[in-house]
Amino acid sequence: MRKILLGTTAVVSAVVGAAVMAPQASAQEAPTVRIGGFFRAYYGYTQQTSAQSTASTNLPTTVGNSTTFIPAGGTNIARLGKHDISTDAGIDVIVNGKLANGLTYGAQISLNSSGIEGRQLVGSRSSAGKTTVAVDEMYAFIAHPRFGQVRFGDEDGVMGGLMNSGWVQGFGTGGVHGSWESFVTRQAGGRTTTAPGGLGDASKIIYMTPQFAGFDFGASFAPNANVGEDVGCPNEGASGFCDRATAFSGARNFGIYAAGPEQAARRNEYQLAARWRGNVAGVGLAATVGYIGASAARDLTNSGQQQRVFNNMNIIQAGLQASYAGFTVGANYTYGDYNFFWGNTLRGDRAAEQLVVGGQYVAGPITVGANFVTGLFEGASRNNLTESAIGTSFVPSSGRPGAINPVTGAVQGAANNSASMRRWGMGIGANYRLAPGMDLIAEYVHYSVREQGRDLDFNRPGIQSRAFSNVFLTGVRMAF
Amino acid sequence: MTHIARPTLTLGFALSLLAACSGGRQVGNEEYGTDNRRELALRQTGAATNSGIVVFGVDRTRQAQEAASGGGGMTVNAFLWRATLDTLSFMPLSSADPFGGVIITDWYSPPQAEGERFKATAYVIGRQLRSDGVRVQVFRQVSRGNQWVDAPASNATNAEMEDRVLARARELRSQSAGR
Repeated sequence: MRKILLGTTAVVSAVVGAAVMAPQASAQEAPTVRIGGFFRAYYGYTQQTSAQSTASTNLPTTVGNSTTFIPAGGTNIARLGKHDISTDAGIDVIVNGKLANGLTYGAQISLNSSGIEGRQLVGSRSSAGKTTVAVDEMYAFIAHPRFGQVRFGDEDGVMGGLMNSGWVQGFGTGGVHGSWESFVTRQAGGRTTTAPGGLGDASKIIYMTPQFAGFDFGASFAPNANVGEDVGCPNEGASGFCDRATAFSGARNFGIYAAGPEQAARRNEYQLAARWRGNVAGVGLAATVGYIGASAARDLTNSGQQQRVFNNMNIIQAGLQASYAGFTVGANYTYGDYNFFWGNTLRGDRAAEQLVVGGQYVAGPITVGANFVTGLFEGASRNNLTESAIGTSFVPSSGRPGAINPVTGAVQGAANNSASMRRWGMGIGANYRLAPGMDLIAEYVHYSVREQGRDLDFNRPGIQSRAFSNVFLTGVRMAF
Repeated sequence: MTHIARPTLTLGFALSLLAACSGGRQVGNEEYGTDNRRELALRQTGAATNSGIVVFGVDRTRQAQEAASGGGGMTVNAFLWRATLDTLSFMPLSSADPFGGVIITDWYSPPQAEGERFKATAYVIGRQLRSDGVRVQVFRQVSRGNQWVDAPASNATNAEMEDRVLARARELRSQSAGR
């Protein structure tokens, strides 16, 4: 009991479960509008594969105004250094209110400056800077002590971060799921991890129950992978860019997010979660099992032929974490049909599996921790298909080395591998709390992608079956 | 989609039924995970997630914090003080000094135990909401003939009273944090 009181409200609520805090009627309160935000600046030292290119990067040759050119294709190469400073900031508007019957309500709008990853200077005065602010989450919620909470808007789903257990990321910037990704280039997906938040904030409706005997449950539904206000169509015609497209030409190319973070073939995504939290002999426990399902847009590349090229998403996840005397340890296992971008796999692809373990320790203002992730995913660049000669079936553009291509009869080359891809990484980090809300941070992360026979760094001679990155970062983060 | 519709609907009904049952506890927003970077940083660094500035409305959190830290002339923690009063309210109050943090009850004889009576003294110590911020001492007397004579009260009684005060204080704090 006494230990519990020392915790924060969240910890207390989580640990004590249904023992206390029965809902009580209270006076109606006018809504408050609160503005908060965060800022962070990290210095990063990065070693990674793919730090130099010898083949053209296929950028447009005209950038800026008409006198600024990148050399034409074939000579557009670069070499990357190791030092950089990464900054990010966000502003949140938070509304909260309460009615006399105990019903609470509110809304949250988050503006982040990290919406644009790279620059594409198509015109000297018509380009958006890399720090352009974009909306991250925006949703409204209505919560009732007896009936639970509904969230409606662009927000993570119940298994996309709201109710997961076993992800220990409360140290450094999150260890292997932290800010090291801000320093590593994307080639071969070498910085892509499948943490809960990566599922995205697709516009959805979420329902979460009150807690009964330690258990609470949740469900969410998103009709598609898109966010925001309008229909998404860039012109008058119906196209795959329209939010409501259920089948479109080229859908086969959108198994992983493309054209920004909000364009993917995923449709009818639903998530279910069951969570238990309690206290056993002074040890705070949390466990979650959940399911993520989704269908995918059909492909209409061949006029008049609506074809199913993707597997449905079909993912189960179980996680457990335990806290005692400042220590927290957790483990999480995910299995099912998804790729390393949380996207739909192509038909015939293997299921993915991923294990995450982590631990952290808090002693006064200092937090230290480490986490580790290992996963096995469908390999190759599994976002495209090639038509077979028959025209009604599809074969992947790449296959296992040595296998006979069922259509052409040719033996697959080693570089056309679609075998299993092993992705693993580890992070170790520490924070020093300078003041409430402000941390000094140091962190080291190693991340590695291995796939036998597939060239993960095509700018180097030979077939590079491995891509890796090492990032050391240190800096300051502040939330207010 | 069709093949999942039925189990999903069933689950939906089941959740609604479950929710309609009494006895559930409201899950606070801070008990859900988040991908919001501000929120993540605040949680990691131990700052209150309701920080920031209030641009419209009354900042009740600040009011509560000020009350808890001794605002309004109090020199002891408001949550603990209020919780102690609530917990001991079943006994007649003899004196309560919010500046010194002392609450003394009068003798009280429970209806189910006519032959004994109790008196309690509670000390609320300091402005912080800490588990060692309250001390309760329970005195017991039993009736011998027409005389009340002192009898020992078990130490467990004191600890139990303190735990109840702490539980109530936590409840009050949660309610104020949830606003």
